[in-house]
Amino acid sequence: MPTTPLRIDPRDPAPIWRQIEEGIRRLVATGGLEPGLAVPSVRELARGLRVNPNTVAKAYQRLADAGVLKVKRGEGTFVTDAPPSMTDGQRSQVLTAAADRLAVEAHTVNASRREAHEALDRAFDQLETGREAR
Amino acid sequence: MTDQTAIAVRNLSVAYGPHTVVQDVTFEVAPGTVYALLGRNGAGKSSIIRSLLGQRRASRGEVRLLGLDPWTRRAELMARVGVVPEVPDFPPELSARRIASFFAGLYPCWDAAGFGQRLRRFGVPDGRPTGRLSRGQRAQLSLSLALSHAPELLVLDDPTLGLDAVARRELFDELIGELADRGTTVFVTTHDLAGIEGIADRVGMLHGGRLIVDEEVESLKARHRRRTGLRAVPVAVGESVQPREEAERAAHDEAEVMTLEEIFVELADDGKEAAR
Repeated sequence: MPTTPLRIDPRDPAPIWRQIEEGIRRLVATGGLEPGLAVPSVRELARGLRVNPNTVAKAYQRLADAGVLKVKRGEGTFVTDAPPSMTDGQRSQVLTAAADRLAVEAHTVNASRREAHEALDRAFDQLETGREAR
Repeated sequence: MTDQTAIAVRNLSVAYGPHTVVQDVTFEVAPGTVYALLGRNGAGKSSIIRSLLGQRRASRGEVRLLGLDPWTRRAELMARVGVVPEVPDFPPELSARRIASFFAGLYPCWDAAGFGQRLRRFGVPDGRPTGRLSRGQRAQLSLSLALSHAPELLVLDDPTLGLDAVARRELFDELIGELADRGTTVFVTTHDLAGIEGIADRVGMLHGGRLIVDEEVESLKARHRRRTGLRAVPVAVGESVQPREEAERAAHDEAEVMTLEEIFVELADDGKEAAR
């Protein structure tokens, strides 16, 4: 079982369950958590992060619903082998929502369309570098 | 009040002679949740704990633990409630082992094996007289005793008071393990806001005997950020001529997220101002 490079930041505007959810999504995306690998139990992660187990359980439940994690009864919780299967419509919805967040953020800080594109490219590069480094 | 609430306090007032120390306090604790009652020294936390444990009668209002009145049903309730007092008062000459055998006789569902495991995890020697244990070890023994009769509700009165960072951490770790394993309802008063921040579902803040906050931690933090954001509007806007709505949104986005501790300090200051 890997030590979890997850961090909870009390100054992060996102609630703790969302920080955990996004942290695990990021680890899966960068290859830090490989398909089929067991993730820590709710109890272990809660103690490691010093948060309420219900908070971890909520994040795990959402990740399971999204098809990122899979609960095997009596065995534990694992990263799913295949990327979550989605219809084209669902994929498009997820992408549109994420793009919308980026566009709003960019607008808020007065960034141009081009700057936003560049930031997105850098984020992609970082993810790929992260994967290659492993 | 329904049977579903672990703790229900309605319009509680507590007075010592002419001095009212708790005024018209109302809150509920849902089963399986962690409720942290915060407040400065003298704010009324201990009086509320004493009312919850049936040690102090309400001057006005109602208190229910697991649906029962602690003033009249104390003995019955104490079998179902685990208590970690502010200062554990063990007979100093007795060892943890002797105290545990006493507890085993009191509680029908005493878990001797679980008690032994908890003491070993904490590293508390079970044969040494408790008078010769450190303050942290006595707190750890106290929590081990409170958990080993499988309580439905755990009441902790400032359990980390005077403990060093390691002992505090171990105590919270044990509490988290208990929450994961048994989903016990927890009511805790504490000054350790950083320690409780990730654990509490809901917080109450007492000021001058009144409950000035009773809210989910998540919404308290979200709301508080917005509030400081609006306060910062004149600074954030500067000399620009942005429409007001947009300026407020920008201020909100720039607003700093506050830790529970910072929110507590700000509200305590507000309380002082309001009292003037």
